[in-house]
Amino acid sequence: MLGPLQPLVDMVTSPLFLMIALFPGLTSIAIIGALLGWLERKVTARVQLRIGPLYASPAGGILQMFADLIKLSFKELFVPENSDAFFFIMAPTTGLVIGAALVGLIPFAPGLQIANIEVGLPAFLAIITLSPSLVLLAGWSANSKFPFIGGLRALFQQTAYEIPLWLSALGVIMMAGTLNLAQIVAAQSTGWFIIPQALGAFIFLVTSVAEMERLPFDLPEAESEIMMGWQAEYPGVLFLAAQGPGFVKLYAFSALFTTIYLGGFLGPSLLPPLFWMLSKTLVVIVLIMLLRSTFPRVRLDQLLRAGWTTLLTLAIVNIGITYLLVVGLPTF
Amino acid sequence: MTDLLFLAFAAVTIGAAILAIEARDLVYGAAALGIAFLGVAGLFFLLDAAYVGWFQIAVYIGAVVVLILFTVMLVGPRMGEAPLGLKRVSLLAAILVSLLLGMTGALANATAFPGQDSCGSGCDLYLLSTSLLKNYGVQLEFVSLVMAAAVIGALALSKTDRGQ
Repeated sequence: MLGPLQPLVDMVTSPLFLMIALFPGLTSIAIIGALLGWLERKVTARVQLRIGPLYASPAGGILQMFADLIKLSFKELFVPENSDAFFFIMAPTTGLVIGAALVGLIPFAPGLQIANIEVGLPAFLAIITLSPSLVLLAGWSANSKFPFIGGLRALFQQTAYEIPLWLSALGVIMMAGTLNLAQIVAAQSTGWFIIPQALGAFIFLVTSVAEMERLPFDLPEAESEIMMGWQAEYPGVLFLAAQGPGFVKLYAFSALFTTIYLGGFLGPSLLPPLFWMLSKTLVVIVLIMLLRSTFPRVRLDQLLRAGWTTLLTLAIVNIGITYLLVVGLPTF
Repeated sequence: MTDLLFLAFAAVTIGAAILAIEARDLVYGAAALGIAFLGVAGLFFLLDAAYVGWFQIAVYIGAVVVLILFTVMLVGPRMGEAPLGLKRVSLLAAILVSLLLGMTGALANATAFPGQDSCGSGCDLYLLSTSLLKNYGVQLEFVSLVMAAAVIGALALSKTDRGQ
């Protein structure tokens, strides 16, 4: 009927394409990222007994982030003199791609997953390891001292916290006996992993907050000491691209925490699985936002000592505990 | 489709590897090295060894390239040495490299790779870990020496700078 256009129509209406384009893919990531920016301002404001965004709205200033988005995209786009233009533009835009790739690995409901690969959990963590080099390149390319200090801090922090992050996720892998995220969810039908893996979940939450560069670990941005750190020189749309991955990562990490510790989309069947998944993710997101308004920023030496000694030791202890839980006492 | 992807990944890997050696700006060299590693990871995915591929990304790009970038930016010289140009040494190097490649190819051709060691579709985690730790334990340890080489390289780079 449509003739030569038929394959194109088939492709556009195929479930995979719709998932990538709409939900849980790109469109929803953009909208949720913007809404998280609003939610963060609102939650922080309520904790500090302020009102927060109010005017741009049908309700509670909910359109504030979209107003900011429009404002930023009309600002002049320039690359600072003597900066390395290639890396300056490449780093934040690649960061956005990485953030979106993370969401593609999460199972939001049975079948509602863009890439159901066998090694989902290591894949997620491996994609995250790309981000320190990008932040370092972004900070270096601006050829300015605050961005460079921010980039170096990001590198120290993210490399130090990646190791406990991997090790804490290892506990979940040992409990579930699989690397596939959908199967890890299925393995939790008898009980959420947050109970036997309480220590691991704590380490995972702390290290993922550090990986996301959020308060109390926002040293790479630290607006009160190094003026937004590696993002300081970014103008207009590029600033948006530098800020965006932060919120997308918040969404992806909270969804991953829900998936591997809080039973993912499992829940009483009177509501759809997607509801359970999104509401648990929202709880984790609000928890992480409350950390932001509760704790002061740590110093770099405190952060690195905690990462390389305390968290690493705790992560190894957690593996020992998990071994005892899974295998039982060793017999000699 | 697979052939096309293989050619694309191979071209990216080789092109980026040449750029990594030839780039005057060391930061660009390090970034090109990262892209070459990504190409190798792509080849692993094509071989249905997704597990190895993801660890290739995590270890080589997430740790080795970051280490090199960090050293270059913090203590290393901004610009590398000028390209050598074609000298007698490059001819010798070309002969040696082609010999090495030929030998590796011949070895790979002569080896029957047994068993389901990869972890792609229908991955058996138990099988993979058993074969990694029992059959290929020594090889695994040798592979992990790469990390040590990277640390020593970073130390050497930073030491030359401090001497000046």
